[in-house]
This record gives sequence, C-alpha cells and structure tokens, in this order.
Amino acid sequence: MIEKVLIANRGEIALRVIKTCKTLGIKTVAVYSDEDYNSLHVKQATESYHIGEAAPAKSYLNQEKILDVILSSGADAVHPGYGFLSENSDFANLCEKNKINFLGPSGASMELCGDKMKCKDVMAKAKVPTVPGSPDLVNDADEALSIANDIGYPVLLKSVYGGGGRGIRLVHNDKELREAYDTVTGESIAAFGKSAILVEKFLEKIRHIEFQLARDKHGNAVHIFERECSIQRRNQKLIEMSPSPVVDQKIRDEIGQLAVKAAVAVDYTNLGTAEFLRVDDGSFYFIEINARLQVEHPVTELVSGLDLVKLQIDIANGEEIPFKQKDLKINGCAIEGRINAEDTFLDFAPSTGPVPDVTIPSGPGVRCDTYLYSGCTVSPFYDSLMAKLNAWGQNFEEARVRLLNALNDFYIEGVETSIPLYKTILKSKEFMEGNLSTDFLQRYNIIERLKEDIKNDTIQKQDAAIAAAVIHSVRYNSRVKSSQETNEYWKSKLDRS
Amino acid sequence: MHSDKIEEFLKKNKIAEQAGGQDKILDQHGKGKLTGRERIDLLLDEGSFVELDKLTTHHYHEYEMQKKKFFGDAIITGYGKINGRQVFVFAYDFTVLGGTLSQMGAKKITKLMDHALRVGCPIIGIADSGGARIQEGILSLDGFADIFYHNELASGVVPQITASIGPSAGGAVYSPAMTDFVIMVDKSASMFVTGPDVVKTVLAEEVSTDELGGAMTHATKSGVSHFVAKNEYDCMDYIKNLLSYLPQNNTQEPPVIQTDDDPNRLDHNLINVIPENSLQPYDMKEIIHSILDDNTFFEIHELFAPNIVVGYGRLNGRTVGIVANQPISLAGALDIDSSNKASRFIRFCDCYNIPIITLVDTPGYMPGTNQEHNGIIRHGSKLLYAFCEATVPKITLVIGKAYGGAYIAMGSKNLRTDINYAWPTAQIAVMGSEAAVKIMNRKDLAEAKDPESLKKQLVDEFTEKFSNPYVAASHGTVDAVIDPAETRPMLIKGLEMLLNKREKQLPRKHGNINL
Amino acid sequence: MDYKIADIEDTFNAEIVKQLGNSEYLVKINDNERNLKILNMSARGIEFILDQKYHKVKYLDNTTSQMKIVVDGVPITLNMHNNLNEIVFKNSGESGVGNSQLNLYSQIPGKVVKISISEGSEVKNGDVICVLESMKMQVSIKSHKDGIVKKIKIKDGGTVAKNDVIAEIE
Repeated sequence: MIEKVLIANRGEIALRVIKTCKTLGIKTVAVYSDEDYNSLHVKQATESYHIGEAAPAKSYLNQEKILDVILSSGADAVHPGYGFLSENSDFANLCEKNKINFLGPSGASMELCGDKMKCKDVMAKAKVPTVPGSPDLVNDADEALSIANDIGYPVLLKSVYGGGGRGIRLVHNDKELREAYDTVTGESIAAFGKSAILVEKFLEKIRHIEFQLARDKHGNAVHIFERECSIQRRNQKLIEMSPSPVVDQKIRDEIGQLAVKAAVAVDYTNLGTAEFLRVDDGSFYFIEINARLQVEHPVTELVSGLDLVKLQIDIANGEEIPFKQKDLKINGCAIEGRINAEDTFLDFAPSTGPVPDVTIPSGPGVRCDTYLYSGCTVSPFYDSLMAKLNAWGQNFEEARVRLLNALNDFYIEGVETSIPLYKTILKSKEFMEGNLSTDFLQRYNIIERLKEDIKNDTIQKQDAAIAAAVIHSVRYNSRVKSSQETNEYWKSKLDRS
Repeated sequence: MHSDKIEEFLKKNKIAEQAGGQDKILDQHGKGKLTGRERIDLLLDEGSFVELDKLTTHHYHEYEMQKKKFFGDAIITGYGKINGRQVFVFAYDFTVLGGTLSQMGAKKITKLMDHALRVGCPIIGIADSGGARIQEGILSLDGFADIFYHNELASGVVPQITASIGPSAGGAVYSPAMTDFVIMVDKSASMFVTGPDVVKTVLAEEVSTDELGGAMTHATKSGVSHFVAKNEYDCMDYIKNLLSYLPQNNTQEPPVIQTDDDPNRLDHNLINVIPENSLQPYDMKEIIHSILDDNTFFEIHELFAPNIVVGYGRLNGRTVGIVANQPISLAGALDIDSSNKASRFIRFCDCYNIPIITLVDTPGYMPGTNQEHNGIIRHGSKLLYAFCEATVPKITLVIGKAYGGAYIAMGSKNLRTDINYAWPTAQIAVMGSEAAVKIMNRKDLAEAKDPESLKKQLVDEFTEKFSNPYVAASHGTVDAVIDPAETRPMLIKGLEMLLNKREKQLPRKHGNINL
Repeated sequence: MDYKIADIEDTFNAEIVKQLGNSEYLVKINDNERNLKILNMSARGIEFILDQKYHKVKYLDNTTSQMKIVVDGVPITLNMHNNLNEIVFKNSGESGVGNSQLNLYSQIPGKVVKISISEGSEVKNGDVICVLESMKMQVSIKSHKDGIVKKIKIKDGGTVAKNDVIAEIE
C-alpha cells in the first residue's frame, strides 16, 4: 500500500495531488526550485526538498536529483503531474527499476503512446480509425513539403514528441511550411529535448473530443465519459467541458468503446486520455493517447463524482476498478476555463511578475484549482497556467452561467489574464448554441468582440472611474500628516535659538 | 457696490495672467514649451496654487523700459501643495521680456525663499530664462547675487529642486547648480556659462546649443543635471516622485509610505546574481531592486559616472539613500566622477535625516595619468570625508570585492559606520590575491621551477587566508557575515534599531572638505 | 479638472464641490452632482459608494498626465491635461498614444532568437520585427506602426526584459 507520494511537479497540480493524498492519509513529498520557495505546494506537503535552480532542466526535469529525493525521503510512489516528466518513459523506467510505484502507465506503453507514428500503426491494426498523414517521420523540410502537397494543404507540422500545444504549427502553403519547419523543430527541442516531425492533414471545422480512460493491472478497462476541448489557441486548450454538445449516449458508448480498445491495444494501465477529432460529418478519428492525468480532469470529476487521483493511487496499489462501465452515468454538465497568465492582444504572449492581490471565486458548483495567493509571483520559467476555474450545473446553461459569474468574481492583479477573453466566449451566441470547433476564435472573430466588450465594460465604469480620480487627492490627507502638525519641532527649534 | 473698483481689479488680474501677451504665448507653445503658469498648474495639486506678487512690475526708466511694464515681471511666485504637502514654487516666464531677470524679479524670488525658510518647506524653481536683463545692468546682476545668497541660506535647511525647461545662461546657471537637484528637459533645456556664439567668436569653436549645454550633455558629461526628463509631464513626475522621498525640512524625518512588501521577505535568488567567476560582472541594480520595497528605487544621476549607483528607495516604508558600486561599469572601480557623485549624495542625505545604505563591490581606484593628473587624490578624499561627516544611520554591506583604499572609502567600519555586514562572497583585503602574490612572493615566483602552479597555489592560499570576510569578522570590522537571502530583513532590523541615533560633534564653523 | 478615458471619445469634467461629512463628499461630473461616501482607504486603493452603488478601486499608477486604475476589476486609464499634449510632445517625438511613438517596447521578457529587419528597413504595422523565446514558446514581436527602422536596440542571442526598447521606428 502506498504510504508516501513524491510529486515531481509544481503549481496547481502539485496542490491537487496533495489534497487527495491528505484525504487518504498518505504523506506527501514536494520538490521545489529556487523560484518556488514560497509556493503553496511547498508549504502544504508533509516534507519539502529543494532540488535546484529555476530552469526546469536543472530542477523539475532533473531525474537524478528527483530520484535522490525519492530515496532519501523514503517515498514509495511518484506522481508526475502533467508536463515535465509525466510522459518521459526514461523516468518511468527509472522508477520501476528502483521499485518505486509510478502513478501512471508503464514506461513501455508510455513510450509507445508518445511515439505518434508507432501509435498510429498500432491503432490501424486494432481497426481504430486515424487521421491521414505522413506514413513516417519526415527528414527535412523538402520531404515534408512533398507529403503536404500529396495529402493537400492545409497541413499540420507536428513534432512527434510534442504536446500541450508545443512543437505544432498549421501551414497553408509551401512558404509557410518552410518557415514553420524550423520553428517547430526549435520549440520541440527546447521543451522536450528532441525533435522529429510528421505531417498530418488539417481537417476543417473539427471538434476535439477526448475520452477519459482508466485500466487497472487486472485488465479491467473503462472510459469515464468524454470531454470536449474544441476551444483552443495555438493547439492549446482554453475551455473544456463534459458532456460534449454533439455526443449523445449512443455515440458515447460507440466511441467510448473505441477508446477502450485503443487503451488495450497499447496495454495501457492507470489513467490516460484517448484524443479524437470529430469532423463535421460526425466521423471520429483517433489522434493519440495522452499517457498522463490531464489538466482538464476536474471536468470529468465533477460530472462523475469520482476522485481521479484517488483512482490512480488505487490502481497503482493493485486494486481493481471498483465499478463497471454500466455503472457510470453522466451527472449534469461541467465547464472549465484555463486561466492563463497571457496577454490576449499580444498573440497570447506570457505575462509574468508579482501578483499582489487575488480574489478566488466560490459558490455552489464552483471549483477553482490554483496555486495563486495574494503576494505570489508568476514565474517566467514555467507554464502560464495559473488556475483552472470549473463550474458544474444540472445542465449546460446552468454551468455556463455559473462559470461566467465566477469569472466576473475572479480578480488577479499584476498580470494579464485570459479571463476577459473567456467572458466574451461564454457570452457568445455560438458558445451558447454549442457551435464549437477548434478554430472558434478565428471563425467567430472573438478577439474583435473582446475589444468591444472591454470598451463596453469601460463605459459601464466611467462614472466610478472619474469619481475615483477626483477623490484621489483625499487619500493623501490620510497618509501624509499635514506639514503643520509634524512641523512642531521646526517651530520650537527656531524659538529656542 | 463699488462695481467699477471690482471691475478694475478683475481687469488687472486678467492682464497679469496673460503674461507677455497672446502672440508671445503662441510663440512659446510653438517651440513645444509651456508657459510658466501652465507648468505650475501641472506641478501642483489642482486648485492649491496661491500666487504672491502677481501685480508687481519693474520700476526701471532707462532705455524706455517704462513703456514695457508687465505685471509679474517675468517671474511667477507662490505656494501650493504637491500631493498634499506644502511647497513654494517660482517659475520664470519666458513670454515676458524673454524671461529675463530684473531687480524686481529677484526681489520676488528672494521674498519667496525667505517665506520658505520661515515656514520650513521645500523650494522648487522652474527655469526658462534669457538671463540677466541687460537694460537693468548691474541691478540685474545684484539681483542674481541675492538669489545665490538665498540658495546658500536654504542649503541644508529645506530641499531645493530646480527644473530647467528652457535656456539658462551666464550667471543664471549658478542658482540651479547651488540647489540640491537639477532636472533638465531633453531638447528644451540648456545651461552654459558662455553661449555658442561667444564660444565661436573667442575660440573659433563651432558647437550647437544642445551639444554645449543640453540635457544629455549635462547628464552624462558634466554631472550638472541629475535627471533628464523626456518632456514636461515627465519633468513634473520626477519632481513629485523625488519629493515623496524627502522631508519638508531638516528637522523632519522623510515621510513613511506604508507598503505591502513583507519586511521579512527572504530572497533566495540573490546569491545567484553573483557569478561564480569573480571576474564576470553583474548588475548591482538587480540586488538593489530586490532588497528595497517593491518598485521604490528612484535612481539619481543615472547617466553620470555609471560605475557607482546612487538613489533613494524605501525599506519598510522609510526612505533610505543607496550608494552602490556597479560592476558592469569599469568593474565598479572608483574614479573622480563617481567620488564626486557619491559624496554630494551622501552629504545631502546627511542634511535631511536619510539613512545611508552602502553596497560594496569594488576592485579599487582607477589607475592612470588621467585620473592622477585630474586629482583623484582630492576627489577621492571627498568620499572619505563625506562618510565620516555623516551622522545619519549608516549601514554597509560588502557583497563582493572590497580592496584597499576603495574598501576604506566605501563606508568601512572606522568611518563611523554603524553596522557592517558582509556576504559569504565578500573579499575584503588590501588587494586582490593575484596582485598580492605577485608582490609578496615575487622572489619565490622568480626562482620557482613551475611558476604557474606555484602562483596558483599561493593565490589560493592567500584567498583562503585573507580574501574573505572572515578575517574582518574575526576582528569585528564586519559585525556579521549574513545569508544573502536575509539581506532585506537584516537591513530593516538594523535601521529600526538606529532610528533614534544621536552623535556628538565638536563645535566648529564648518570643516574644510577638499573641494 | 478635465479627464479623458482611453478608448472612449467623451471628455469628462469633474471636481469636488464640497465636503459633506467626515468621509462624504459632493462631487460634480459633467454638470451632474453625485454623492460620494468613502468606506475604506488603504495603501492600495479605495472603496466607496457613489449614489448608492458600491465600487472598489485600486490606484495602480499616477503620473502628471495619466492615472491607471482598476474599477471593480476593470482596468481603466485616465488622461489629464490633454489640451497641452500637442505642445508637450512637440520636441520629444513621443506621444504616449501607442501608434505614433518612436520606441517599440517589448511586452515580455525573453531571449532574442531572430531579428527580422535591419536598420533602414521599411515596415508596416504588424510586420515581424524580431522573435523572442519565452517560456519555451517563440513569440513574434510586431511593429506598432508603419515607418522606417531607425535603430535596432537589441542583439541576437541577447536577453530582453519587459518594457525594454526593441527598436526605434520613425
């Protein structure tokens, strides 16, 4: 039985894992870099160890250091979170070798899933439909160019080791492809240490629908419903929800089965996600299996009532999944917004720095997973995700309104955030009608609408703003004592001489 | 009742506010400059300005001057508030007779300064003047002298700030030079003793106004100007910001501005600012920004002598003066300009009850004939004198190198510094290990079979023995070697302890600092 | 005093008419008299009731010509002394209004991985000036206006901090 979990991660996911461990009476070990001395996960874990400098390669990606801490702290399990080492088969194997329970799949199936090419092969054999694309890795831009012309533009240049939106670019013609080729290679090396590119056909008006998977060491496999994550930018998800507006129980059963089949085909264990693309005509194509617990897992937890981190620990302990597929029924609807520290108008460039004041929303059906607190800092070294704001409702509309209100209550000072953008999205007719696709932002000119919304907000507040400006000077009287009062010494000194 | 008298009063005031006339005002605006009244309006809190001597005129009769009488006579004086604090302000009005100074104008200014001295409030002058009024001849010159005298009377009693937003030529430049801080607006301001025309005539040297005495020239080369403002808005911001760090007069403490920045905040990244290789430079300002309250560092004289950094900041809400070597410029060595810059800053802090925090990382004084022939000995001694003379709380922190004379000059213990701290990376010695070994073991090295490895061995020995903070700590010259992460809390606690410091000084008229 | 709110066309004239009580004031905004009661003042900001409506305002930055505040979570920039702008900015070439200013500032910190133009190049609003690498993403910094690149202030491979000047574009 697992007694002590080391979390090889930081930020909100580290806090998430700590919370579940606390309810199960499991001790936790946190690791932190120079940047994270004052982080909440460091303060809430049972023990905390400093592992290196800010740069991820010197701390959170440093396997030897982390292994050291595992051994010296006596941890018997590791939760890798998402990103960092979560899909690094070397690390998973290293844990296995040292008899440490890795809260995720085996190194072998992780490696298989991480290699998009091999995975596609396996799926083809298992009769799981996949997206048209290059049969193998491309060696250079020229080869990519010829394949692109074969399958027809537009195409996606994808790094085989990409993920989280990195190492992936959409190109519409030869010129763009050449320019993007170097960028994709560069990003991939920077984030994952290696690069290998493949070309995939870009399908229009697609919806990104994924299925939460769970498989224990005894072969029992289930899916825990779908999540729709179509609203994205630069192939990174912004808003996710469960259930998907275009998935009814019949499709859920059908595609869910495909997802489970995919998991079995790669001998996947523990929790993971099978990602699909749904084209406008209703057909689903398998993309890949994400061999980790995903950022958007709270959405599934809210509509299923399950604690997915607990499920991970149970499976790792060798237990059987305590329910069957027929026992699972979706309850209500949940929507999540990833609150990023980014400037929407600057092409979503990261915004970093101190956050002097934070107000975290709450209320019925509102859940916020975050590492923020008043006085913390958003670091330039790590991901821009600051918080995951979730709202659950009996139906889509209730969830939508709750999330909108929660966004209005969420105040983060000091950095630019995606909160205004999400408010505009949630208020849009298209969102309310469930008319989603991965090009949502461009298709419906959301950024332009955002500018309008900001202007309208400003107009709403103009009187208060002017009043605040006029009354500004009054503050000085409360902070600076008038010269007359504190000048007594001046007066008395002169009189005496 | 008395409606005709009221009408006359209103008419006179209106004329006074028109200054030199609509066309002159348009001229001024056309040059991209505001009028004196507009500037005062920008500077002071809305509606707080009370003008004095609005209806004064000159009383000169030669050269038909009686036909050219203007209310105010090219100077606007009065008092008002800046962010709630009482200040006295005077501004030259370029639209009236070119802003030239007359006997009456000088009287107005000195009258205002007398007021400020009686009440104990800062004086701010806005210069935009053609200089002395030639027609008034000696009377104008005497007027200037009177102003200079009052500058001296006020020096060290109330803060004096000059904003130069236009020309200041000839004798007029000495008043700003005698005040505590000078802000020049880029491309508008100019200050020189002799203008380009005379320079051309006498020396046949062609030079533009901006090059001879513009804002950038005085900020980078001569050090006359402490700040360069982008434009007039920026200039007013500098003044307001600067004042927020200073007290009203020398009997007061500077205002305490509460901050949310935790006084116990540790910064574990500070030690990483110093590179492992001690020959590699780093930006001292990173350290300064970290230890002070958030966003409170206000640098002064930024463009002059960049090898030393001076400025104000706040620690737990209280103003402190920072004097720090800057390793990225000249490796942080001390020279003539930096000695002058730091000495004047220290003496100002001493006048106005502002504690001084010194951060040290300097390899010594700059060598060379340039420095020696221009008097590095004299100028360097100013720094020593200023430190000794200052009786405000003084805390010194040695961060890196502190060799020889420069170690002594940068607030060492026996200059009456109250608290001396050092980081573990400090190297306090008479000179660097390499140089020391070359001298002390010259003979051994000459006779050695393998001089390189012997040298390395000797250098390492010397470093371990001498070039570290522990020798100094063992003698009590350094009160404590501290954990860099704790720098901020340690400084704040030290300052709190020194709050009511009192020092005795033997009575004398004044010392004889080597100028 | 006259105020202008960025992004809105109207000008507002506002002043404090009189003080009614300890923290209560009568203010006039564009000829309308409003009642303002201050509930709370702190280092960060102010909470008040304006004609029965509650507002929370943070003062972020305050210079001679501009005030940046956050009203009930909405960031607003107010400009003062607008009538003097033309005169004041005549010589400095900088107008504080994004598009005509000389300097292109970086909004993010990062490492310069590519400089896409050279001194003297003609650029249009939106053209890529350079590429910075930040948080493992490559971000293109685009020109804020049409013009000619007068000076490039960054070096390939160098680091850029937030608000550093990237280039001067005339």
